Order: sequence, then C-alpha cells, then structure tokens
Amino acid sequence: MSPEFETFLARLYTDAPLRARFLAGPREEAERQGLTVEECVALERIDRVGLELSARSFAHKRTLKASSRRARSWWNSVRAAVWRRPRH
Amino acid sequence: MAEVVVADAAASDRFGLTWQPALAAGILANLDRIDLVEVIAEEQFGASSRATRALETLAHQVPLLVHGVALGPASTAPVDVRRLDKLARLVERLEPVFWSEHLAWVRAGDIEIGHLAAAPRTAATIDATAANLSRAASIVGSRPMVENIATLMDPPASDRSEVEWISSVMTASGCDLLLDLHNVHANSLNFDFDQVEYLDRLDPERIGAIHIAGGCWIESPGDERRERRYLDDHLHDVPDPVYDLLVEVGARARRPLTVLLERDGRFPPMRHLLWQLERARAALAEGRLRAQRCGQGRAQRNGDPGPDRTKVCDES
Repeated sequence: MSPEFETFLARLYTDAPLRARFLAGPREEAERQGLTVEECVALERIDRVGLELSARSFAHKRTLKASSRRARSWWNSVRAAVWRRPRH
Repeated sequence: MAEVVVADAAASDRFGLTWQPALAAGILANLDRIDLVEVIAEEQFGASSRATRALETLAHQVPLLVHGVALGPASTAPVDVRRLDKLARLVERLEPVFWSEHLAWVRAGDIEIGHLAAAPRTAATIDATAANLSRAASIVGSRPMVENIATLMDPPASDRSEVEWISSVMTASGCDLLLDLHNVHANSLNFDFDQVEYLDRLDPERIGAIHIAGGCWIESPGDERRERRYLDDHLHDVPDPVYDLLVEVGARARRPLTVLLERDGRFPPMRHLLWQLERARAALAEGRLRAQRCGQGRAQRNGDPGPDRTKVCDES
C-alpha cells in the first residue's frame, strides 16, 4: 500500500460524494487520483458492500467521538468555572 | 510433563473486564471475581487529575492492562510520536501487566477515519507495521501485544489471507498476539472461512491474551439484495461460537492466558457480565483439560511426553 493509496482509501471511507463518484466509475476515479495500475485494478474489484457498510460504521464512530468530546469539553468548562469561583 | 505445563498454565489463567465508568461500582464490588481490568489508553489521555488519581488507586487493587485504540500501526505512515509519548507516560504511571494495540490503520495524513480499518495484506504493510511496532516499543519501553481486528470490508489490494498476514507481522515485529475471538468469528462470517482452521494456522505459543465480545448483523443500505455483514459492536452478549473457539484455544495454548470481556454499552446487570466471565473460565478450562487428556493418552501409548505444541487431538 503506497501512502497515496492509503490516503485515497481514507477519503473513500470518509467522503460520501467521492465514494458515490468512485462507485459509479471505480477505474476512472482511481486513475484521476494518480494511483498505479495495480492499485487501480485492485480498486476496480473493491468489495462494494463492505465499503458502504464500513463507511457507515466509521461515520457513526466519528459522530460518537465528536459528541463525547463536546460533552467532555462542556463538563470541563463547568468544572473550571466552579473551581474559579471565590470560596467564602 | 506436557500435562504439568498445561495444568500450570490453567492455574495462572486470568479473567477480566474492560474498564467503563458505568461499570465502575460493579467492578469494584466484585474484585474477588475479576482478576484484572483493561483500561483504554486514549480515554485516559485527556482525563482530569481526579480521574487519573482514581485509576492509580485502582491499579493498586487489581492488575491493569493498557489497551490502545488509535495508534494505527498498520500504516505506511510512521506512527505519531506524540501519541507514543502519551502512551509511554500512561504505561509508566499505571505499570500494566502489558499494553496492546490493534493491527489496524486509523488515519491518513489529516483524515481521521474514526475507527480501526484493515490494512491491505501485503509484504509492504507487514514491513511498515513491524517498523511502527518497533518504534512504539522503543518509546513506550516494551513491545505491545497486537490484536487482530474485525472488518466489514475485505481490504483491497491484499495478496494473502488475514491469518498469514498476522503471523508474518508477529514474526517481523516480535510482538505476541492478543487474539480477539469475536473478531475471528465476525470475519469468518463475513468472508466465509473456517474459524478453527484459522486457529490451526496461528502459533499457539505466541497467543498471550484473548478478547471476547459480542456483535450483530447489519444490512447494506439501498442494496436490493440486502446483503448482510456481521458487526463487532461490543454491545451484545458473547455468542456461543466464541466460547467454542475459547475451548479450542485452551486445547492448543500451553502458556497462561489473560481473557478479557469487552463491553462498551447497553450494559446488562453486573451479574450477567460476571456470568459471561464464568462461562469463559469454564470454556478455557475445558480446552486445557482436553489438552491434558490428549497428552496423557499419548504418553501412555508411546511412553513419550507428547509434542511440543498441544493441538486438538482426534480422541477428544
């Protein structure tokens, strides 16, 4: 796996419009990314169901992580505010 | 002799749970039935000093394991040294029995995938993964155990099977295997391979720990054929075939094993999780017993102590 192939796979997992374009014409989209002939051939045979399900699962995980970060940041700011309050 | 080794290993097998705040009270109240606790490394990186102190207190009560989920060593890119520095500090503070990471990649450049992705199984990714694991070991101070992952997609550009790729990474890196039996089960359902044959192709002496978990079937969106794949979600009970695999591992492995039940949500009552741990104990013990009987049978017939690697025998 070249770094370019890895980056393209990561984009396929995370970028829905790119994924749709790719699934409509895998070879053409892979060639447009400047990948090697072997990489283009491999992508032409990609496990399409697996790609869609993986992308959906990864998107769900990213959403969960983002909401967990937001909750933590909200809690930290509340705690910091309470901590800063002058004590009598 | 072989029976003695297996019996010693059985006596040293340990069983535990992954630390979750929602399970904290239940874990602390049942430390007589939980031998160790696994802590997710990344969840501790941003933890408050109070949470950190609580974890250090826990480390004095029960042996801990540190489990990484976001390093992504199975990548052509070098692993992030800042992440490794944080891991090193955590490992130094908690003094875990061992630390572990997944044989997965999780990002490319600034693109975060969000979870563990299976790398294309090639010679190039074996070399790159081994180099990353070596870098990790030198910064953290010890080699991680490496875990096989579940995948919904057969990684493109692969030129070998999953078990071949994992074995080669272990050989190249010197890292032992944290064998996730539910991931083996999930991948065998998704990609139609024989789970026991998969175990046969692993060196049992290199299996140091076991993960067990649960999952569910999901369907492809908008696909008229509604093709299904099995997702390792850690939200369901451990299915029966995973306990069967644990029996098989027990019949093969001669070293003591650490078995961890992973549960990330939809938590059942603690007694139900403990019941699953007891099932795991019974399954591994059954496998150990089978190995002992095989060894005894062989020794009686041949007057020899049996083979070095205890495999499943046909008289079981």
